[in-house]
Amino acid sequence: MKISYKWLKEYIDIKITPEELEQRLTFAGIEVETIETLGEELKSIKVAKIIEKESHPNAEKLSICTVFDGEKNLQVVCGASNCAKGQCIAFAPVGSIVGNFKIKKAKLRGVQSFGMICSEKELGLSENHDGIMVLREGAEIGVNLSEYLDYQDTIFDVEITPNRPDLLGIIGVARDLSALLGLELKLPETSLPISSINISESLQLKNENSEKCPRYIARLIKDVKVEESPEWLKKRILSVGLRPINNIVDITNFVMMEYGHPLHAFDYSKLEERQIIVRNAKKDEAITALDNQKYQLIEDDLVIADSTKPIALAGIIGCQNSQITNETVDIVIEAANFLYSSVRKTSGRLKISTDSCYRFERGMSDINAKNVSDRACSLIIEIAGGSLANGTLDSFENIKEPVQVSLRPDKVRSFLSIDINDAKIIEYLENLGLKLIEQSSQKISFTIPHYRNDLTREIDLIEEIIRLHGYNNVASKLKTQNIMNKELFQLRRSVQDFLINEGFYGTVNWPFADPESLNKLKISENDLRRNFISIKNPIGKSFSVMQTTLLPNLFKNALYNINHNQKDLKLFELTKIFKKSDNISKREDFTVSGLITGKFLEIYWNSNQQEVDFFDLKGIIEDLFDYLKIEKFTMVKSKENFYQLQLGVDVLINKKIVGSFGKVDPKIAENFEIERPIYTFELNLSEINKINCFKKHTFIEIPKFPPVLRDLSILVSKDYSFEQLENCIYSTNPKVIRKIVLFDEFTGKMIDKGFKSLSFNIMFGSDTKTLTDDYIKKLFDKIVKNLKQKYNIRLR
Amino acid sequence: METRLQFLIDQARKEITEITSLNELQSRKSHYIGKKSPFTELMKQLKELPKEERPEFGKKINIAKNQLQLMITEKESSLKQLAYETSLSDNIVDITMPGRRRNKGALNPINKVWREIEDVFISMGFDVAEGYDIEDEFHNFDALNTPQDHPARDLSDTFYIDNNILLRTQTSTVQIRVMENHQPPIKIIAPGRCYRNDNDASHSPAFHQVEALVVDEGISFADLKDVLNLFVKRLFGQNIESRIRPHFFPFTEPSAEIDIVCLKCLGKGCNLCKGQGWIELGGAGMVDPNVFDKLGIDSEKYSGYAFGMGIDRVAMLKYKIPDMRMLFENDIRFLKQFK
Repeated sequence: MKISYKWLKEYIDIKITPEELEQRLTFAGIEVETIETLGEELKSIKVAKIIEKESHPNAEKLSICTVFDGEKNLQVVCGASNCAKGQCIAFAPVGSIVGNFKIKKAKLRGVQSFGMICSEKELGLSENHDGIMVLREGAEIGVNLSEYLDYQDTIFDVEITPNRPDLLGIIGVARDLSALLGLELKLPETSLPISSINISESLQLKNENSEKCPRYIARLIKDVKVEESPEWLKKRILSVGLRPINNIVDITNFVMMEYGHPLHAFDYSKLEERQIIVRNAKKDEAITALDNQKYQLIEDDLVIADSTKPIALAGIIGCQNSQITNETVDIVIEAANFLYSSVRKTSGRLKISTDSCYRFERGMSDINAKNVSDRACSLIIEIAGGSLANGTLDSFENIKEPVQVSLRPDKVRSFLSIDINDAKIIEYLENLGLKLIEQSSQKISFTIPHYRNDLTREIDLIEEIIRLHGYNNVASKLKTQNIMNKELFQLRRSVQDFLINEGFYGTVNWPFADPESLNKLKISENDLRRNFISIKNPIGKSFSVMQTTLLPNLFKNALYNINHNQKDLKLFELTKIFKKSDNISKREDFTVSGLITGKFLEIYWNSNQQEVDFFDLKGIIEDLFDYLKIEKFTMVKSKENFYQLQLGVDVLINKKIVGSFGKVDPKIAENFEIERPIYTFELNLSEINKINCFKKHTFIEIPKFPPVLRDLSILVSKDYSFEQLENCIYSTNPKVIRKIVLFDEFTGKMIDKGFKSLSFNIMFGSDTKTLTDDYIKKLFDKIVKNLKQKYNIRLR
Repeated sequence: METRLQFLIDQARKEITEITSLNELQSRKSHYIGKKSPFTELMKQLKELPKEERPEFGKKINIAKNQLQLMITEKESSLKQLAYETSLSDNIVDITMPGRRRNKGALNPINKVWREIEDVFISMGFDVAEGYDIEDEFHNFDALNTPQDHPARDLSDTFYIDNNILLRTQTSTVQIRVMENHQPPIKIIAPGRCYRNDNDASHSPAFHQVEALVVDEGISFADLKDVLNLFVKRLFGQNIESRIRPHFFPFTEPSAEIDIVCLKCLGKGCNLCKGQGWIELGGAGMVDPNVFDKLGIDSEKYSGYAFGMGIDRVAMLKYKIPDMRMLFENDIRFLKQFK
């Protein structure tokens, strides 16, 4: 629903800015979805004066005006018949935007025109397109139209929740704000002059279904003048997104937007036998509604009728047969309440959606019907003249007693966990229109105002109190804790999960070590891993220090299993290693180590059984990092002495070594009595966690254009690495080259000595277009050229 | 021209009837139906006919072409059906042969149970706290109300690194660490490794414990019992009851030992529970006010409970592992059982 800031200010003296108001509304449960600043589009339109008018030499209907815009005279061609010399008009200069059109210099039938004189419709101010908009005499020339019309306003588009139909009018919102901001609410005053006609002599009301129509008020106003609404009214109507039609219809719409309660006006002269009957539709009855549509009714639908025909679909839409026209003289004003479920059924079935049924479907107040009737009649007499017939026809059988609700102030305090005294509780609720009946320290009772049907229980009142008090004013009473190191915990689990999935078995060993084991690993004398924490009273020399690497225990586990004829092994341990430090938190690091030997995969009826090799291990590490979302790591030749020459790799993240992997030098393995190829890795998880190198996991757009694949087979000197060649290919066009897969590598008889054959599958892709064959061919040639230049390759 | 058409029709019919593969059909199809088909050629030659014969003959060509089209379509569907049937019979395999399995690994039962215990407690709102294996005497003894001359401090029971530095003998040290750094409410477990200078069939010098600590306003003995009961049921099964009975620990008052129904005989009495029907799981109790006082937590305002148990022992009970040493041998034939 749209709420105008200016309109709102008529009922409540808001001192805060629209921006602050937005915050207050949203945090009071009236969520502001968008804010629109009105009048912006009229700022480029100027108030100008027609100082000369001549007829167009080549077109009868056009005239050539000289317009003064406050600075200069401009020649403008105008087609409106009402344009005349001396008028103040709304002038759209070249470059301004009217509706969706940008005004340009134009030639109309051979005559230059520098701008446009606008109609109200063109400016979006009304449906009036009869001629140009004529402004009042003596208007200040040169000011912008927004200023002239006092059109600046801020419009809040708010979401009204279904429990609050009372907020479907601006007064309802003002009432809530008055409670929220502690400001007085000013309701509009009505004055209803007494006339000599009596309504009972002129109109009859019969309500045949008081269940579906709990209240119906009809009033008669004679001799009104139906015409265009005054400016202020049109402005209000426009500001909340409605279109001005005529003064009577505009007033009913205005009052609906003001009070949130819909009304309807009928042309009295169209009512057969001067009757208004609220009744169920008859079988096979049909209406033509104000939206020009014909609707077939069923007996369940409620209609307003005269003695012969329906004149409105109750609470939903009026019929054409009784609508207000320019010829209308006498009118009947309907203010009623219709059962929400009945309105909903009919509007749903006929797929009609109007401002009126939107409100009735949410439940309106019987009492409010009288308020809006008074307000509408008062405005009509003020604006459209006429005389109001004496009295009302009011069908109101079941006058409901006001609802009473009690609350326990102690419950309020404990439930909301806020410090609030009884007086404040009462103040909040009274501000919302509740009336205090009874008060004790245990219990406070209120009557609920007619427009707040949503308040029926203590908990409803508690909600109102906290809404006004402010959700954000509830102090935190944190009953939860944040002790866990969730990141490290998750990292350890992820590593375990990954390795189990890769076929590894977890081992558990005593975390003691034999200092001699580091000699067996050829770990150098000054290596930090020799900085042991020693135990004063160990259970034996082999267990005399705390471990600084997990590898010796894994070798021991491997040996045990090999000796028990279990030769295909994938083992890992994830636990702490220890190092000397005065700082207790730096002594212990979670580390994971693994060991692979034998067949990489278990025996299976048509797989080829292969012994594990370096690239099996490297793949595991790469997959692990992928799984852990570690993207930026580098692998370099290892500095460890226990890896076989050229088959060990140190892993670096942020230039820091976090671990290594590779094939264990057979002589080192022998030191641990193992005479088989052994592959190991060791990664310091605490380090990895500290570096915090994990990539944020976010969705990447799936390519809209199909990728193109090309194979490239080359002969290249063994001196050049795959990495060098890969980088060379990528760098040719990193945006389009998406992936490079090495699918073959061989050397041997067919290949010249010192050379190797490599085959790549290159994937090309684009986010914006389908790559043409021609484009790919050019790029491919460029890749080959680069490779030839840099690495002297030959194509195969 | 008439004969030419008839010849074309006959030839096409014969050809299509003899086709046996979809590929072949495809190529003949484009030959006969495509832009350069002999029928199109014939159409072009129409102008050579006398004017009045043209419409009639044109119609004939079209009819022939349509018939041919229909024939091709029919042939196509029959060939497809044939291919489908062949594919079915060609792909019959012995479905009793073993599936192609990915070989998954497993955790050591200690780690497996460790994670299960963590998960049960996390489901009950506990945080998992970390501690240090290498501790000082204050956190391992003093703060836990274990006096200087207590036998537990003997060199024969505790591994010492330095005078004051030792390998923790219990995870209760984490209680102290957490209470030093956090005000209540506290609701944590601390699983981890502990050390005692003991090495025989039922003792390992390095072993694993989990400790739970809850401190808040209004925590009572009943809370301890309720959480223990729920934990035991969630870890061992809904039918496993637990009980506590009086005992002594320096840092809890009252202190208790936790028993659970014997997992082997379910309470009937057997060799595992030595006929008792119950087996011991761990220790528990309400945090001694002295512990709170040492750490500056108001023992009038707050109360709490703690309990602990051996993870290795839980693993042995749960999987009925007879010998503790098997847990540390890491025999792959043993580990494979814990997939």
